[in-house]
Amino acid sequence: MDLATILQYLVNGAFASSVYALMALGLTLIFGVMQIADFAQGALYMLGAYVSFYITNRIGLSYFLSIPAAMAGVALIAVLNHFAVYRPLRRAGGATTFVAALGILLILQNAALWAFGAEYRLIRSPFGDGKVTMLGAIITYQQLFIVLVTGGLVLAVWLFLQRTRPGKALRAMSQNRDAAALVGINPDRIAVVTFALAGALAGSAGALVSPLRAFDPHIGALAILKSFAIVIFGGMGSISGALFGALIVGLAETLTAAYVAAEYSDLIAFVLMIIVLFARPQGLRGGAVTP
Amino acid sequence: MKRLLFLTAAIAAPFVFPTIAQRNLLILIAINVILVASLDLLMGTAGLLSLGHAGFMGIGAYASALLVLHYRLPFPLALAAAAAAGGIAGLFIGYPSLRLRHHYFVLVTFIFGIILTLLFTSLVGITRGPMGLPGIPFAAIGVPGAGRHTFNTFQSKVDYYYLVVVVAAFVLWLRGRLWRGRLGFALVAIREEENLAMAVGIHTHRYKVLAFVVSTAIAGAAGSLYAHYTTFISPEVFTFVDSFNLFVMNMVGGAGTPAGPVVGPLLLTIVRDALRNISPVAAEIAFGVFLIAAIAFLPVGLMGALRRPGVRGG
Repeated sequence: MDLATILQYLVNGAFASSVYALMALGLTLIFGVMQIADFAQGALYMLGAYVSFYITNRIGLSYFLSIPAAMAGVALIAVLNHFAVYRPLRRAGGATTFVAALGILLILQNAALWAFGAEYRLIRSPFGDGKVTMLGAIITYQQLFIVLVTGGLVLAVWLFLQRTRPGKALRAMSQNRDAAALVGINPDRIAVVTFALAGALAGSAGALVSPLRAFDPHIGALAILKSFAIVIFGGMGSISGALFGALIVGLAETLTAAYVAAEYSDLIAFVLMIIVLFARPQGLRGGAVTP
Repeated sequence: MKRLLFLTAAIAAPFVFPTIAQRNLLILIAINVILVASLDLLMGTAGLLSLGHAGFMGIGAYASALLVLHYRLPFPLALAAAAAAGGIAGLFIGYPSLRLRHHYFVLVTFIFGIILTLLFTSLVGITRGPMGLPGIPFAAIGVPGAGRHTFNTFQSKVDYYYLVVVVAAFVLWLRGRLWRGRLGFALVAIREEENLAMAVGIHTHRYKVLAFVVSTAIAGAAGSLYAHYTTFISPEVFTFVDSFNLFVMNMVGGAGTPAGPVVGPLLLTIVRDALRNISPVAAEIAFGVFLIAAIAFLPVGLMGALRRPGVRGG
């Protein structure tokens, strides 16, 4: 195996990791703050892809414009989910919110099936087939764009959590809900911020990846299950854990597809997660939302 | 008395509902009763829930179908092998994960269920993957001195329905029997205060593993009954959504109540089927709404809600 091949796998892995990182980041934030395993994020990812598709392919506006539009639209739906379902159910805990989240996923997935049809779609990439060759590894511009935007979004989230008042309040709430309420943090407002942030991240993931991967209304389920596995792998509520987990799973999937068999690559995230659950149940970096 | 009423209703059902579609639904309800009762064995006492039960059902279905297809194993042995396969998988996953805290155990069962579905899909050489396994022989039972009876479910569904009802009745009886014995008391003690249970000398881990293995073995047997009924299985009938479905059936019926595992499957199987006949997409949306509503309005289940406070029916 030469350097170019290894580099090519790293590039492909980084691209796969980006999508997982964005979704896992939203999922871990919601889990840290709200203690909810929000499966509906899978549907939000799918809706992000459709928002971008309709703006780019149907209306004919710029793809670059469709990304913030997808983020805003999906963030709005995430907040609506919160008010329609999670907030009324906030006294029910654990497994029951899990079931409610699945309920939302089913509703949104089938509503999309009804509204958009079951055909596979692909967004027209503004980069076309453009690519660069670096030390023998081929990187398409679209892949490069995805990795760069993901990096930018992760940095933005990190700055938001570290530097801004709502970001600090969010972290405080995930560390100790009662103490946060005691010092005057409004839990309802932080819940809205958390859902909007996570929704925007899921929407961006859908819009970013869909010029490369054909999608239909069913893509959300497997994507969110894998992100969920990543979040548990990294430690629920941990941001660095989610990012690290996304990186490992993205690389492991690419390597499995290359050296074992493509059909086993979907299994890797779950197998890694089971191993981590037995060896270290709290995940690699368990605890409250910690950057 | 109540039990007799249920039994009479179960026996009379195929004659009250004589069409093929209705009898098909009756068999599916009876299979779901087996699955939900097996789930309730843990959920109704220790409060431990498995969100991967459809996966264990799939193990049994594939084990039974493949053994009969490739090795011409007689159906009763295949049914037993399906139960054994489900039980062994349950032991394999339950033994280590039941040492973990409660919600981690739920997660492990959930993820293991997904792994199983993915395996059914990707082990194309064995399971034929997404194409599914067709041509599974009908169940057949040899009666000494009276020849062989084949349950040709394409011709008549009544005989197979009664076979499934017998198994379902046995599983419901077994659930009650186990609950009244040491295992049941140990499981309730675990729910109430696990540390205290351990302190007074109950091997909590051993009892939890035992209950889980029995539960997954029954799920495996249900898979076998399903496979030899439809004669075709594919990964998409054993997904995590199906596992959730079983959990919701148990919740709606009422976990831990005597009639819960009958009422839940009865209600939900009929409602889902009726909606599917109108529109499959609308049925899924309605099911999603129903999931949320069930949690919001009916956390103790239908049979739990009907039970008057202070009176322990049983």
